[in-house]
Formats: sequence, C-alpha cells, structure tokens
Amino acid sequence: MALQEPYPSKWQLFRIWAGIGLQSFGGGASTTFLIQRTFIEKHKWMTMEEFAYLWNLCILTPGINLVALTVLIGRKLGGVWGIVLSLCGMLLPSAAITCLLTAGFLSVEKLPAVQAVLRGVVPATGGIMLLVAFNFVRPLIARSYKVGMLYLLADAVVILACALAVILLKVPVAVVVIGAVVLGALFFSPRQVAPSLGQEGAKGND
Amino acid sequence: MINPLVYFLLFFKASLFSSGGFSNLPSLHQDLIANGWATEADFGQSIAIGQISPGPNGLWVISMGYLTYGVLGASLALIAITLPALLVLAISAGYKRIERHAWVQGAMHGVSLAVVGLLLTVVWTILRQPGVDWKGLLIAAGAFGLALSRRVNLLVILALAGVVGYFLYR
Repeated sequence: MALQEPYPSKWQLFRIWAGIGLQSFGGGASTTFLIQRTFIEKHKWMTMEEFAYLWNLCILTPGINLVALTVLIGRKLGGVWGIVLSLCGMLLPSAAITCLLTAGFLSVEKLPAVQAVLRGVVPATGGIMLLVAFNFVRPLIARSYKVGMLYLLADAVVILACALAVILLKVPVAVVVIGAVVLGALFFSPRQVAPSLGQEGAKGND
Repeated sequence: MINPLVYFLLFFKASLFSSGGFSNLPSLHQDLIANGWATEADFGQSIAIGQISPGPNGLWVISMGYLTYGVLGASLALIAITLPALLVLAISAGYKRIERHAWVQGAMHGVSLAVVGLLLTVVWTILRQPGVDWKGLLIAAGAFGLALSRRVNLLVILALAGVVGYFLYR
C-alpha cells in the first residue's frame, strides 16, 4: 500500500470538508469525485475498497447518502469530533450560501426578467430530475433483466404504483416506502443469496 | 401560523423516509401544502436555487426552509436532514450480521423501486409548476437530453435554460 499521511487535525478536517462542500456544483457525482480524490488519492487516508464498503452502508441509510458518508469518514479520521467537524464543514458553508442565494432571489423575485428566467430554469430542473430517476433505475433494471422478464415487469409495476399512489391517491409517502420495503422483502428476495450487498452502488445523485 | 416543532417534524419525517437528496420532496409537498405553509411555486424555486448553490443536492430543503420560514426554517431543515444520516453509525455496527440475509436484499430492492417512483412524482410536481407551459416542457426535454449526454455541465444547462426563459417569457 502507498504511504499514508498521518490523520488530519480537527481544524484541517473541517477545512477539507468545507472545501469539498463549496466546490461541489451540480450534484452528487461531483461531490463523490471530490471525496475520492481528496481522501483516497491525495492524502491516502483510505483505499478505494474501503470507500466502496462505506458507500454501501450509506445506501442503506435513510436521507442524503453523502451526509452519511461524511459521518463515516469523519468518524474514521477523528472519532466523535471528527463526525461533528466533518458535518459542519460539509454542510454549514454550503447551507449559508444557499440561504444567501435564496435571500438574494427573494429581493429580486418580483422583477419580470427574473420571473422569465425562472420559467426557463424550473422546467429544466424537472428534466434533470428525470435523469436522476433514470440513473437510479438503470442498475435495478440491469439486475432484474438478468433474473427474468417477469421481474422487469414487476419492477415497472411497483415504480408506477408508488408514483401513482402519491400523485393520485395522496397516500402518505412513509406508507408507500414501508409498503415497498415489505413487498420487496416478500417477493424480491433472491432465492440464492448473492455474496455481498451493494449491487445498486451506481446510484449517487445526491 | 407555523408551529416550529411540527414544521421540524415534517422535515424530519420526510428525510427519514427518503433515500437520496430529492426523495424527501413528495412527503414535504404533501404536508407543507396541506398546512398552507408553502406554495407550489416555493417548490420549483427552492429546487432551482438548490441546483445552483454548492453542496449536496439535498440542500434544496435549506432553500425551502428559508423561503417558507426564514433563517429558523433553514436551520430546522438543516438539522432535519442531518439527524437521519447519523443512523449510518448503527447500520455500520449491524451490517455484518444482516448483509447475508436474502430479505435484506429484497427490501433494499423494494426501497430503490419506491425511490424511483418518488423521483417521478418530483418530476411531476416540478412540471406542474405555475408558469410551465408546452414551451416549458420542451425546455425540460432539452435539459434531460443534454444532461443524459454527460457532455454539458448541469450549471451550464440551467444557465442555458435561464437564457431561453428570458427570451421566451420576458
């Protein structure tokens, strides 16, 4: 293994995460890239295999996977304080900028030009969101395709049922998610257990 | 009047039953609209601002919090998205024990499907925003195509869409 640098000081850890947070534009892929480059390539504090293992744990965790990843890497490099400072570094500066941008938007939102720009930007975010869904579904399809067409059809039915339950029937989202978990455990569990979890690792558009 | 505790719990619940940065939107949409604490337009705006600002995509809720309840709302939203992530500590402790169970893989597959369904409702919510007409749908299709090609940075796509919007709707 290549030479590993000594673990960072608490303040250094905060600065590193702040840098990653502030440089991530345009979604999870760029954040993941920055994290890998910083912790694996530059400082060699972890290996790619270790990163992949931690990422699998984050996929199992509710909420934003990248925040969970921040928690795990923070703990590895600095214990409890590592977690706190990593979270603060990753979230606070970016959140502050988000607030400033929102405040700036509120001060100009009435301008016709701003409204016009927004009418272009908002549907574009819809298109980008569709791609997020598409990226999410691709590894699932690939997996079910190997098992059989029936599974592929079942996947499509479950996806549409979840969407329609929320849109048309106004079913609470928590009920939909719990329903999908139970359904999945009952009907989608593989007969032969794969060696390890995390086949859906390609997701990552936090 | 917004009740800060209920407001926080709605954000927390949405985050707890989500996976990935946007799948908390449908839950928030249901609850905040029902309470009259947010408008349709707040959702489109906060998603757009969230895309432009740095950090994980999930920070769009910070903008949502700020739009609906000021700095307090943004702070409550930040806490609400941070707390569920700490569950990863419990999961990392128990992972070795559960990873080989078939039902865990089945359940994860179920959740992933639900998340795709929820993301489709996010797309639906955005494209039903006031002000989105057939030209808007064309912009959405164009943005999807450009993003799919992976040749164009997402910020560039949003900037292009803004320019198109300016000339179409001013």
